[in-house]
Amino acid sequence: MMAGVGGGNDFQWCFSQVKGAIDEDVAEADIISTVEFNYSGELLATGDKGGRVVIFQREQESKNRLLSRGEYNVYSTFQSHEPEFDYLKSLEIEEKINKIRWLPQQNAAHFLLSANDKTIKLWKISERDKRAEGYNLKDEDGRLQDQFRITTLRVPVLMPMDLMVEASPRRIFANAHTYHINSISVNSDYETYLSADDLRINLWHLEITDRSFNIVDIKPANMEELTEVITAAECHPHQCNVFVYSSSKGTIRLCDMRAAALCDRHSKFFEEPEDPSSRSFFSEIISSISDVKFSHSGRYMMTRDYLSVKVWDLNMENRPVETYQVHEYLRSKLCSLYENDCIFDKFECCWNGSDSAIMTGSYNNFFRMFDRNTRRDITLEASRENSKPRAILKPRKVCTGGKRKKDEISVDSLDFNKKILHTAWHPKENVIAVAATNNLYIFQDKMN
Amino acid sequence: MVAQGQKRKLHKEDERGGSAWESQLQSVLDISMDKFHRDQALMEPCLLRSVLINNTLRQVQSEVRTQVESLSAVKSPTKLKPEPDFTQLSPPAEHNAPLLSPNAENIEDTFMAWTSEEDFSLSSAISGILKDLDAVIDAGQGPCASQRAPLSSVENLTPCPLRTERTSDMASSVKTELMCPQDVALDKLLLDIDTAVFEPEVNLLQGFSVTTEDLVKYLPSLSKSPSASSSSSLVSHCQATWEIQEIEHVMDILMRTYPQS
Repeated sequence: MMAGVGGGNDFQWCFSQVKGAIDEDVAEADIISTVEFNYSGELLATGDKGGRVVIFQREQESKNRLLSRGEYNVYSTFQSHEPEFDYLKSLEIEEKINKIRWLPQQNAAHFLLSANDKTIKLWKISERDKRAEGYNLKDEDGRLQDQFRITTLRVPVLMPMDLMVEASPRRIFANAHTYHINSISVNSDYETYLSADDLRINLWHLEITDRSFNIVDIKPANMEELTEVITAAECHPHQCNVFVYSSSKGTIRLCDMRAAALCDRHSKFFEEPEDPSSRSFFSEIISSISDVKFSHSGRYMMTRDYLSVKVWDLNMENRPVETYQVHEYLRSKLCSLYENDCIFDKFECCWNGSDSAIMTGSYNNFFRMFDRNTRRDITLEASRENSKPRAILKPRKVCTGGKRKKDEISVDSLDFNKKILHTAWHPKENVIAVAATNNLYIFQDKMN
Repeated sequence: MVAQGQKRKLHKEDERGGSAWESQLQSVLDISMDKFHRDQALMEPCLLRSVLINNTLRQVQSEVRTQVESLSAVKSPTKLKPEPDFTQLSPPAEHNAPLLSPNAENIEDTFMAWTSEEDFSLSSAISGILKDLDAVIDAGQGPCASQRAPLSSVENLTPCPLRTERTSDMASSVKTELMCPQDVALDKLLLDIDTAVFEPEVNLLQGFSVTTEDLVKYLPSLSKSPSASSSSSLVSHCQATWEIQEIEHVMDILMRTYPQS
């Protein structure tokens, strides 16, 4: 395995930080369910099963520090969603954060959207480092003084205070999804965003919470006829009229909102023909797309299914232009993986800032990176053993058969409970965030 | 997995390939049914998961039907000698031939020609599965109205639609089957790949009018019968006679519903 993915031949990934409890017993609420850098990469947000959002901020780089890049430290923590109970249907609504998406920064405050299964919230994260002092409206006890007793007009003075980061919910977009929300995506017009559940996609205006437009509806009249669901959706990064959504049958539909109000008819339909020689009972399940992401350029999109990552050219619908095998050695184990439910795991994928590399997770806390130009790939591991500061990550290899070499791990030894479902790549630099159950690992490149 | 359309030889050697396919089919079916039941117990199962499991179950049923069709396609055109050589099947079975419709005569011959007991049990098991799947569809129309299928959202609590054409849509027949608790019986039926013991009370000539109660009645007798893999018991004369007759009826019905193109 060659190091060098993401930045050239001399490139190597190093451990930078790990956040989260070291305890072997993992609290369910601490399991990270989403990771997202903001547009500048200065902020890194995580959501967990307990409905909390933790935002990390990068330190300003100091010339005196040995580290080449600033570290991420906790900036704000808040409870985004609480568990709810739907009394009408007698169902509990989980507080788990499914997705976080940042809005582009337009003033001093930061805004993000966070979604659980049913509700999306717009949060404003703002700093307060000054306090107004010198009011003469209250007496020493803090009680408001009688108006007649105030004889002078005193203008309060702003005094510095310890930095306080406040998160406040500015909008709550609720009651628009019957099924579980799997995706949210901010439109390039910065005014609207879409939210997708298993059967429907809605378009919202960020200012309006009491209504949304339904733009895709694949619910059949008779639910017993349902054979396909929506698994992910995303807005095009530049064309505000275009979005895509993926399905459980391995297809992607690109829709143009200018064509019709209801985008049930797609403009483009992406599907790779099935290879008949590899057909099995599990073919459909492993073709189900768990994530779809446009490249930053907007020319390509990437899809993740159970065993592979595919890069599609938006101008070619009949097959992907690139296919990368993530863990092909699992193909012979599909029956067991079906039995233990691992086959339903939803892995995400991400692009680097220049679209030259892609990253996705696997089992045993392994994650994989593919360089699209050199066609090199690398397998790395997020583990506490490799967490010495600035330690270079050693490439890992899975032994697929025959004699196991030293440092290789056999397929049967893989820990399927240690799965890396969520990863994120800094929009401009070679810094990555990898969520391993309840721990967040940050890796960065080694400066030569 | 045996490729579709591949002809199965009348040879015991080939049975190993069939068993491997069958065991994989059975594994997938067992696992899928288990997941289906567990999901049904949940108030709000994951829709994606339910859809994928249901589609897998449909695929399993499709494979079973295809296998039966390919078997009957292989067998029926064959002109067999008037005195088929059967070592384990009882001679009295021959006498039943005139009782059957002319259509089924060839089918009867083809079945007679099967000297292997495993072949015999396999085909009877498969046809038994198909028969009971269809029977369950009919039987389940009433009781399942009150049950919420996993694919139905809470907002869509409608009774099972009446099915006028049972065999027209394979997919829809599986859906209804999935909605009914009788599929527990199917599980047990599939486990037992020995010659299924059909109660004489079941009159297949009535068509698929087996009630839920009748089906449930069979369960104790079915579960008591040993599985084919361990069984070495010979089929009794009367049993063989009756079973062959029942299989012929089933094949006859299948031939009528799946006419060869």
